Amino acid sequence: MLSTKFTPKTKLTKAEIDRKWWEVGDYFRRNSLWLLMYCTGCCAIELPPSMTSAYDMERLGMGPMATPRQADILLVSGYLSLKTLRRLIYTYEQMSEPKYVVALGSCPINGGIYHDSHAVINQLDQYVPVDVYVAGCMPNPESVLNGFVDLMEGIKNKTMNGWKRYHEHYEWYKENQKNSLGEVIVHDEFHQ
Amino acid sequence: MTIVNFLIGIGIALFGFVLQTSIGGINRKIVGRMQKRHGPRWYQEFLDIFKLLSKRAVSHGWIFDFGVIMALGGIVGTAMFMPLTKDILAFTNNGVNYDNFFIFVYLLAVGMLGMAMSASGSGNPWASIGVMRALTTMLAYEVPFLIVVLTIINYSGQSSLTGIMEFQQMAGNNWFLIAMPLGGIVGFICLMGMLGKKPFETYIAPAEIASGPMVEYGGKQLGMLFILHEISVFIEVSLFVHLFLGGAANIFEFLIKYFAVYTLANLISNVNGRFKIDQVVTFFYKWPLLMAVTQAVIVIYFGWVI
Amino acid sequence: MASIELLILFLVGAGLIAYLLTKVNTFLGSIFTIFAVMFVFVSLAAYGFNMNMDTVVNYLPGISFSQTYLGFYFAIIIVFVYLMVSFFHPYYLNEYKYKDSYNLLFLLSLAGILGAFYTDNFLNLFFFFELIIWTTMFLIPQGKSREAAVSYFGFSVAGSVAMLIGIFVIFQNNGNSFDIATGLAALNGTNAIFVFILFLIAAFAKLGSFPLHIWLPIAHGNAPHPFSPVLSGALVKLGAFIGVLALIRIAPATGLFVAMDLPIGQYVVALLGSASIVFGTLMAIKEDDAKKLLAYSSMSHGGYILVAFSILNGLAFAGGFYHILAHALASAGAFMAIAAVARATGTTKMKELGGMIHKMPITYLAYLVAIISMAGIPPMGGFISKWLIFQAVINKGMVFVGIAVFFGSVGSFLYVFRPLAALFLGQEFREYKGVKEAPILMLIPTFIIMGLNVYTGVFPAGILEFINKIIVELGYTGITVSTYAINGSNGILNPALISLVFAIGVAIAFVIFIVLKKSRKVDLMDTYTAANFVHDEHLLHYSVDFYAPLERLYEKQSSWMKKFYTALAEKVKELGKLGKYLFMSKNVATTLFWIVAIIIFLLWGEVL
Repeated sequence: MLSTKFTPKTKLTKAEIDRKWWEVGDYFRRNSLWLLMYCTGCCAIELPPSMTSAYDMERLGMGPMATPRQADILLVSGYLSLKTLRRLIYTYEQMSEPKYVVALGSCPINGGIYHDSHAVINQLDQYVPVDVYVAGCMPNPESVLNGFVDLMEGIKNKTMNGWKRYHEHYEWYKENQKNSLGEVIVHDEFHQ
Repeated sequence: MTIVNFLIGIGIALFGFVLQTSIGGINRKIVGRMQKRHGPRWYQEFLDIFKLLSKRAVSHGWIFDFGVIMALGGIVGTAMFMPLTKDILAFTNNGVNYDNFFIFVYLLAVGMLGMAMSASGSGNPWASIGVMRALTTMLAYEVPFLIVVLTIINYSGQSSLTGIMEFQQMAGNNWFLIAMPLGGIVGFICLMGMLGKKPFETYIAPAEIASGPMVEYGGKQLGMLFILHEISVFIEVSLFVHLFLGGAANIFEFLIKYFAVYTLANLISNVNGRFKIDQVVTFFYKWPLLMAVTQAVIVIYFGWVI
Repeated sequence: MASIELLILFLVGAGLIAYLLTKVNTFLGSIFTIFAVMFVFVSLAAYGFNMNMDTVVNYLPGISFSQTYLGFYFAIIIVFVYLMVSFFHPYYLNEYKYKDSYNLLFLLSLAGILGAFYTDNFLNLFFFFELIIWTTMFLIPQGKSREAAVSYFGFSVAGSVAMLIGIFVIFQNNGNSFDIATGLAALNGTNAIFVFILFLIAAFAKLGSFPLHIWLPIAHGNAPHPFSPVLSGALVKLGAFIGVLALIRIAPATGLFVAMDLPIGQYVVALLGSASIVFGTLMAIKEDDAKKLLAYSSMSHGGYILVAFSILNGLAFAGGFYHILAHALASAGAFMAIAAVARATGTTKMKELGGMIHKMPITYLAYLVAIISMAGIPPMGGFISKWLIFQAVINKGMVFVGIAVFFGSVGSFLYVFRPLAALFLGQEFREYKGVKEAPILMLIPTFIIMGLNVYTGVFPAGILEFINKIIVELGYTGITVSTYAINGSNGILNPALISLVFAIGVAIAFVIFIVLKKSRKVDLMDTYTAANFVHDEHLLHYSVDFYAPLERLYEKQSSWMKKFYTALAEKVKELGKLGKYLFMSKNVATTLFWIVAIIIFLLWGEVL
């Protein structure tokens, strides 16, 4: 017969401990998001006001970083041509996990005003997983910051797992990337 | 030496880390207010470091990791020798204090060597260029600084930091900042160089060489380098406090002096642009070196001290 | 009892046997050489420390020996370096044109070294010096160039001639006796200053110090790979030995600098030593060949030794003597690492190499330990000696020497890091895919030197106590050493504690590293390139003109000395042409006339 005198200590399984640590980590991660800005399009012009005195991104613990290794967010601001998409994927794969992608403007959603261009892709989501879209052409600084706050909320609720999706559906993403870009052979640093 | 000494040493290193990380955060807030911003939370630096430690990093081979460990180890070791006040220090035995000045200069160099090694080991050319700039900057600021320290040690007859502190606190002696004003100015300029503050921030230069030595780091390695950075700032600023500002009789005095020195350096940094690397060298070998030598000749050969 | 005479005779005999064995089989001859040198080292170490060597001479005519702590200290260091290097012979000799004589000359030069440090007679000293110079002169051209040997020989001869004149002055001054002890003691007045200057010329030439340094990079850079460590770690120390004789034993009574309490002669030497430090550092920063870079670093370290010996007190001498040991170990270690790389890849040019660490990790560690010592960073031996020298310089208040000493110390981080970054670290080159770690026989000395570099930095007390004996022998008071701590003039240093604390720090860092999430391993080419696709690892390797912005600042000034010596060589050549024109013309009558005229001139006072 089991004794009821002592309630047995609830043994946490390894998965539960990991989850607890992950939540602690999430607290730090959502309060210190570092950006790698991939400024390809016109939306980049909205970033200076959101960083400087007027909207002060730093009060959320955010700031620009120099290299993809150090950054948490890949900020895609604007349209992506085929050539820049190749670089974007390279950069995204260099980032250390967990990593998030935030897309500004309407171009990464559906091509925006460049939707019928031969050199511009229409849906960024086909190639790398996007966590937060900030719509608008261009979005004003309030909406940019709102997008970041959404990202933080999402990290808290564990819904921002685009980087996991990228791992799970790696073949699918690679397939799409190859279909649009084709495989190229690099001859030297100036010629493909 | 007992185990207690070593525990005190580790405590001092930990204290230095917490102190500098908090003061660094407060300084970010101060700079924010200067620029009419709200500024980050005061504990933002802690959040940054712990976030980095929680991420999954990349590694470029064993030397990349080993260098980081050696670097952090060297810096933690150096911090363990640092006296906080003239009574609070780790390694003391029957009135003999083992806190010789040269330990701080050269044991710090182990850490720097480890970091340089690791950065070069990543195989990124930006990292090597950053290391090259860091070493060149070191060549620039170290010589005037050591000449001033030569003057101080020659004059006070002490090369232990606590000894220099006590010498300044004795009745009739001024702080060396006042007693040797030229040397004090040189010391502060060299401190700016050591801290890598603008205009001597050439070797980080995020917009130019993609943050130099740190270009390939992310995750825990970068987090460890941030810890390293905080502790080395603690060592360098404390050195200035002890050498030029008369050290401290109690911990509050130390905190006040420390905060004042670091904030001043940070404020000066924020209104400056960046030198090119050869400008850094020519700058340090022109006025600071001349002032340091003048001060040394005045003090050593003429004996004129305020 | 080991007799010094028998050791020398043994080396000569062993040299002949080694010659024959090498002729039959290179490997066999080299192994024999290792054992011969090991025998000498062991007998020296077993009896020499307590001055138990037998100095009676039975067979060699006109040669006499005596033993001093000073001579033994130099001898044991140099023999040790010889022993370490001899392990490299089996793998290198086959490349050389005159490989048969290599081991013979090597052992003969070692015999010369034993003789030079144990003799008590100036003429013998000169004889053994010449033996060393002549044997090594034939070793150097086996490497890359003959010019190196010419340059080495030219400067050595200049030094030898200066020393010989000095010896004659002493001979005349000391009642026609060549005895070293009484000869040096009897010197005074102008004679003393004259001999002081002559001996210093010899010391500067051997040590490769400013302004007689030109031969050093040429000879070190082009010597056979296993001989460069001997040149830098051992043979330049002969200059330090003569420097000790001149600066400490002769120490002429020149005027005194009151502020520093130092004779002017000594202060001038200290300034020249400083110039050597600064010049060597700047040139080393600029150099692209790893061996030449280390050669310039030897020049700068020679400057430290001169500075230390010219500050006349026990503390500085302790620093100087310790620096001789520390630099011998460090530079031998570094040169041997470079030699191992050169064997594997066939080049020592840094711009052609990269990523060697992935192929030769142990060689890399050996180089790392050696350069940490060379840069004077704890926990290696170089830190102790530099600390002692700093203490002495600061205590004397030598501001201008201080600038050079500190500049050289920080500058050494720059130049020693360059081979580390360019040659060992960085991108892995595809042309060196097949390179392997050095063979086990070459790793033995590598490990021994690594261990000693650390030992000298952690437990210096035993060695410093021995150095104290030398200092007392020279007539000065030694420094205070306890089991773990060294007392300087204004502070105390505990090297063992520093090393322990450093180890604790590394342990803490390691724990932090290991508890955190494991990193994802990526390729070396997968680096941040601003998202450019770079396919060629040579483009991602930063090694050419490493310190370009710094070099640009003194580019114009860096060739002054070379130009001076080139101009000097031109002038000497022109003088030779004149002589040739006058005396060696095709017209026999002219030549005959001059010969007769000179004979008449020479016999003027005697016969005619």
